[in-house]
Amino acid sequence: MRTLKINNNLSRGKSKKKFNKKMQEKLVVLYFLVLLAFVGLIARIIYVTCSNGEKYKKVVLSQQQYESTVIPYKRGDILDCNGNKLATSTKVYNLIIDTKQMQAKDEYVTDTMQALTACFPGFPESEVRRYMAENPSSQYYVVLRKLTYDEIADFLEIQENTKEHPNIKGVWFENEYKRNYPNNELASDLIGFTGKDNTGNYGLEQYYNDVLNGINGREYGYLNDDSTLERTTIPATDGHNIVTTIDANIQQIVEKYLYKFNEEQKNVARTGNGADNVGCIIMDVNNGEVLAMANYPNFDLNNTQDTSKLIGSKLVDENGFVPYDAEVITQDNIDTLLEDENLAMKNLNYRWKNFCISSTYEPGSVAKPFTVATGLESGKMTGEELYTCNGQLHVGNHDIKCHNYRKGGDGTLTVQQSVEQSCNVALMLMGRQIGKETFLEYQEKFNFGLKTNIDLSGEARTASLVFNDQTMGETELATSTFGQGYNVTMIQMISAFCSLVNGGYYYEPHVVKQITASDGSVVENISPRLLKQTVSNETSRKIVQYCNGVVVNGTGKTARPAGYAIGGKTGTAETVPRDKRNYVVSFMGYAPADNPQIAIYVVVDRPNALAQDDAKFATRIVHNILTEVLPYLNIYMTEELSESEIAELEALDISIRMVDDTVEEEITEEESTAVDESGLILNEDGTIDANGGDTTSSTPLSDEEMQDNNADTAPLTGTVLNETDGTPIVEDNGSGPE
Amino acid sequence: MALNNKTREKGYIDYNLIFIILLLIGFGLLMVYSTSSYEASMSTLLKNDPGYYFKKQLRASIMGIGAMTLVSFIPYHFWEKFGLIAYGVAMFLVVLVLTPLGYEANGARRWLNLGISVQPAEIAKVAMILFLAGFVTAMGNSIKTNKGFWVVLLSPGFMCLAVWLITDNMSSAIIIFAIALIMLFVASNEYKKFVIFGAIAAVGTAALVLLIKLTEGSDVFGFRGARIRAWLDPEAYASTYSFQTTQALYAIGSGGVFGKGIGQSTQKLGFLPEAQNDMIFSIICEELGVFGGVCIIALFLLLLWRLLIIAMNAPDLYGSLIVVGVMGHIAVQVILNIAVVTGVIPNTGISLPFISYGGSSVMFLLIEFGLVTSVSKSIIFEN
Repeated sequence: MRTLKINNNLSRGKSKKKFNKKMQEKLVVLYFLVLLAFVGLIARIIYVTCSNGEKYKKVVLSQQQYESTVIPYKRGDILDCNGNKLATSTKVYNLIIDTKQMQAKDEYVTDTMQALTACFPGFPESEVRRYMAENPSSQYYVVLRKLTYDEIADFLEIQENTKEHPNIKGVWFENEYKRNYPNNELASDLIGFTGKDNTGNYGLEQYYNDVLNGINGREYGYLNDDSTLERTTIPATDGHNIVTTIDANIQQIVEKYLYKFNEEQKNVARTGNGADNVGCIIMDVNNGEVLAMANYPNFDLNNTQDTSKLIGSKLVDENGFVPYDAEVITQDNIDTLLEDENLAMKNLNYRWKNFCISSTYEPGSVAKPFTVATGLESGKMTGEELYTCNGQLHVGNHDIKCHNYRKGGDGTLTVQQSVEQSCNVALMLMGRQIGKETFLEYQEKFNFGLKTNIDLSGEARTASLVFNDQTMGETELATSTFGQGYNVTMIQMISAFCSLVNGGYYYEPHVVKQITASDGSVVENISPRLLKQTVSNETSRKIVQYCNGVVVNGTGKTARPAGYAIGGKTGTAETVPRDKRNYVVSFMGYAPADNPQIAIYVVVDRPNALAQDDAKFATRIVHNILTEVLPYLNIYMTEELSESEIAELEALDISIRMVDDTVEEEITEEESTAVDESGLILNEDGTIDANGGDTTSSTPLSDEEMQDNNADTAPLTGTVLNETDGTPIVEDNGSGPE
Repeated sequence: MALNNKTREKGYIDYNLIFIILLLIGFGLLMVYSTSSYEASMSTLLKNDPGYYFKKQLRASIMGIGAMTLVSFIPYHFWEKFGLIAYGVAMFLVVLVLTPLGYEANGARRWLNLGISVQPAEIAKVAMILFLAGFVTAMGNSIKTNKGFWVVLLSPGFMCLAVWLITDNMSSAIIIFAIALIMLFVASNEYKKFVIFGAIAAVGTAALVLLIKLTEGSDVFGFRGARIRAWLDPEAYASTYSFQTTQALYAIGSGGVFGKGIGQSTQKLGFLPEAQNDMIFSIICEELGVFGGVCIIALFLLLLWRLLIIAMNAPDLYGSLIVVGVMGHIAVQVILNIAVVTGVIPNTGISLPFISYGGSSVMFLLIEFGLVTSVSKSIIFEN
């Protein structure tokens, strides 16, 4: 550095205009003052660092918000057996406004608001403007919720076109999933619905909640070892789908006729629905699969809080019960009756319950086949007995009447006739033969009093509603033989009934047959679970024979659908209040008669009629349902059709296909393309191939292929029985006979 | 001019000075980019351009260097006769803020839109230096009289009041007054008066602070009162008035001896709003540690040392006083800025010369150094 010589020659030039020595001295003083200040500041910096450095380091780290955003998972779909969606989750979008960003410039607000009002019909502009004025720094304001992609598509287009619309600012969309039920009311009780945060309520949604739900993903930032902020994304894991055994087409047919029944019977004898409740279950008798399960009245899964659906039903009290003198909710009184929100909720809760599994009732005469089976299987009855009915029987201190005691009774009856005519006296006599212990033993075998463990949420416990050794006396035994005195659920009855008619194999009823991942791969196949053998093959055949007689000769004639032979049993059970005016009527049957494939159970709880004790309320529903369902399942007709039956089928647009039709003579040209040999696959072991239902797309299979096919779909049929004791040898994950 | 027969070298250019200035500007640009890039990239208003502030500062710096070069070629005596006019023009520009030419940013109306945006307060500082240098030179020995002393002391009064009251910019007013005070201190013979002044100022400040402390809860002193209360008790105002100061202290403290490394500050990620402005020194300390902070202070000391040398060797009083003014300007701003950042004095809006973001500031600082260079060029060497 070149050194400068300090100019100290004050005498040079005009001294008064010089920077004199005094000034230089003061400048140096100034410099030292500045130096002192600097040193002080350096000391301060060192002090801050040394005294609080570690503490401040932590403060700095702790106040970093690792801004994390949740990436929502998609709840799995609920599918029917053909892959139709019963419940699905669709992506929806929440419209978020960043007021801070939008209000940065006036033209942003003008242009963005204009675009928003143009694209979203329900956009609350004045409200948003007020909010923006009050919260100028807000960056997260949810304006509209659950918009579909179609609804936001127009706006997205404008937003992305930054050349023409440069002033669209401060709007973004947040993803979310919304549960959607494409068929609204269809199988509402069975499916259930979801509440907030994807919590399942009722039915499948609740039972399979954990399977259906996935794991939320997360996008977050964190400080790594070098204290630099890094961002990471953990993608969401979508929930699994469940494939049910429900066939949406069958379900639809069932619900159609339950609705039709209601339309016919409503307001007949009293104001309100056609019955307090009508329930129907259809099952595959050979594997416990539930093909349809429906109730009327039902509700809309997409609008579960809709109280207008309660119109026609009896008012549920604040304890959740329906009192005998319950008022009926009508259009006129709904607002006053359900004014209390709590009470309205109770009523909705009652509606959401699945009658088929949650409600208990006395089964009535449909229990008679079970009594007969008990007698035959236990050896207490030979099947050759004759019983004499005089119209009533004296049991204990009571005279218990038969249904036609006014006519003097049914006279002398064989076992089959007893069932056909549904004679209470004959059944009570059988009960005396069987005895209390054996009767109770078989009640338990048939699973009465136990849960079926169907994979639906809300199954009722009936353990306290059946008799045991202590509570069953002579009278109780007598009434139990014809299904009065103890309570059951619909699912208990039909599951046990399936075992009566399928050769004695009791399968656990189930609704879900497969769990698949969101990418479609199979996570788990749920095979039918054979739990026990209730009766022998031989007894089963006899029961089928008797029940066939019921439809041919007895009380169940009206249940028979056109073109088919079916079997079954009617039931007319007294119910509360016990004034001989309130009845639960039912029909439990199976089809086809000679080789049962499906079982059907219809229960009409207190039909809206002057005389409720008429099983025809149930048998007509069964008739209607089976008339459509059996052809749909491609089961060939076996019975000759009367003119009126042909007309009925034509009206329903059902083609007539008889089992002995080698050439499709009666089938029209157009329809012949829709039907082929593979339509119905009846196998030697008695299973049906439900997949054959879709006749338009299936191609004919060779016999071998068919068998392979069946081996896949029904692995448990043809269970090998142990020759010595007749119990089934089950190769099913350890769930052996009980 | 004082010419003589001795060989005279060509105009002396203080390369040390220029090197230090360029170093400060370069370092300032680096830190402006480091502190502002995150916030700028997050702001859709700035089109998410991380280099937004950096580019603006770079443009101002280049223009400033151009202006400095230009000014350095003009002999500084050219400005002598414009002293009073400069004062007038500066006053006029300050008043102009009230007209539609003025505009508001960050909640204060301090800027003028004259094609480029300018803070009149920055012009006022240059004008004050030129005016006082000329005024004191013209006064000659009469500055040694009492009357002369008071005239010089009160002459910047109008300007300070205008800057304070019209642009509501007390910190600039303080700086302008401090520049004047320093120039007076150097030019006059007095010590006693300054010591007395200092004592009175200290007592007065203490009394005022006490008064403000006692009136806690009332609104008598407005936001300045609140700032002082926040300074006295940072914890109580941690989320409001002392938020910036406490966050700055967190930044300094968390930096350690050598810092987190350049670009690694976490405090700039939104906790120190507009860290590129007044609080940039805290981010320097966070990223480069105590070491980096001390280096910057040392650089400023070196800069002041060069100014001292030039002032002492300037061929005449006018040139020396100009340099003394610039020196005062730099010293006052550096001290006040770092004092604010380290929580020694209450928060005021004073930027760190050459380093803080601000186009006007860097441009007029460079113009001042153009004057200094012009003075240094007329230094005569004697061999």
